[in-house]
Amino acid sequence: TISAFSESGTDSCSLRDEQRTRSVLRERYLRSLIAMSQKQVWFNMHERVRVEAKFGASDIDVLNFQVSDLQTPLGIQKEALIRCPDVISYSFEL
Amino acid sequence: MNEWRQKNPLEWNKYVNKEVRVTASDKQQHQGWVYTVDPVSASVVLVDFQSTRKASVAVVMGHAVGEVEVLRDGDEAMAERLSAVFVPGGRQVLSQ
Repeated sequence: TISAFSESGTDSCSLRDEQRTRSVLRERYLRSLIAMSQKQVWFNMHERVRVEAKFGASDIDVLNFQVSDLQTPLGIQKEALIRCPDVISYSFEL
Repeated sequence: MNEWRQKNPLEWNKYVNKEVRVTASDKQQHQGWVYTVDPVSASVVLVDFQSTRKASVAVVMGHAVGEVEVLRDGDEAMAERLSAVFVPGGRQVLSQ
């Protein structure tokens, strides 16, 4: 794949642009995660399940969210991990 | 894998600072200004300014993004307002 990128100057230039944009977008997403820590977050899951919890942290690949006081129909879970593929959307107030 | 997740960062970047309506896989619609699209998960971060001080944030996970409809472009003031949303203590000037 390296030879494919070194074929012309325009390719390496657009690759650089893409990488720069990628890092800006990623940094902004990480900022939004930091802003969410210790806040009450609503999670919309599959089958129209909606749960509320205090957000703690996410792993780097955004595969799991660590939350506290997860309010489920079966009661409150003190600590829990939410699998991100099970989440459709989430929301919080700043 | 859906179409949205296959876009590249330059394509996602075109949505930043624009007001959009995202239809998620559960058919729910979310409207707001795009703050960013995470290049790893393709999740869209939407900010909705309800009053002058408070803002609410909705994030649609990349795997659940259906249709993304652009409603209007943001101006420079909106871009600045969005940039300041997740900076603690508001905007800080670090150089003179």
